[in-house]
Amino acid sequence: MALVYPDPFAQLQGELERMLDAAFGHAGPSRLYPPVNVFDAGDTYVVKAELPGVAPDTIHIDVEDDTLTLRGERVFSEPSRDAAYHRRERGAGQFRRVVRIPGRLASDEAKAEYRDGVLTVRLPKAKEARPRRVQIEAA
Amino acid sequence: MAPNELEAKPKQKVERRDETTRPGTFFQPAVDIFETKDELVLVADMPGVPPDGVDVGLEGDELSIEGRVRSGEYDGLKPLYVEYGVGGYHRRFTLGEMIDRDGIKAQMKNGVLVLRLPKAERARARRIAVDAA
Repeated sequence: MALVYPDPFAQLQGELERMLDAAFGHAGPSRLYPPVNVFDAGDTYVVKAELPGVAPDTIHIDVEDDTLTLRGERVFSEPSRDAAYHRRERGAGQFRRVVRIPGRLASDEAKAEYRDGVLTVRLPKAKEARPRRVQIEAA
Repeated sequence: MAPNELEAKPKQKVERRDETTRPGTFFQPAVDIFETKDELVLVADMPGVPPDGVDVGLEGDELSIEGRVRSGEYDGLKPLYVEYGVGGYHRRFTLGEMIDRDGIKAQMKNGVLVLRLPKAERARARRIAVDAA
């Protein structure tokens, strides 16, 4: 029986899970920070990175040839001295992440947006790498 | 790796204890919890969750937090390379302190939830002077 996904987002969630399993399996995903997902959106590559709690104006983004570099630091304001920690799972520190994009880019048209702790970088493909629809000429 | 360099902690999937009508994947948010003289503070990383996507519940001594992501921004995107799953967040805690429920404050900014839970008056630490014999 075929799986039925009525919701496109649920379908995407399933696909991401399968790709994660296929790429990393039992070893678990990469420990590189921040974790990134790369998508194809036709004329553009879309890179998303989870960077919760990082001030957007402190994120440095560089695009060179087919390489995207994200740099910055996650800083926490420490609680007062009389505070006692029960749990401490969140990390702080510097990061530098290099992501190679699997195609040619028009790097000067790159755009970035930070929203709710997720950085989205849109990297338009180089003109010659964009998908083209070919019309069939009537004989 | 430099000592002060960040390392990603892979997101852990969680099973919802209660059945939901909406299907979907939920992850366990990473949290810091600390306590001061007057309050308990919970900080949770929930990237992708907008301020209106958070639910905080307190039933008896059980605190639950839930976050929902905006799904629309993934329309038309075909994954090429994947390092993390996308979905909501869910986690429960049993509180060991008496909390003043009416004083609970929640703030959501840049994908981070900060929850301030003031201790109930009678649970606050008091300094007790010991009389010299």
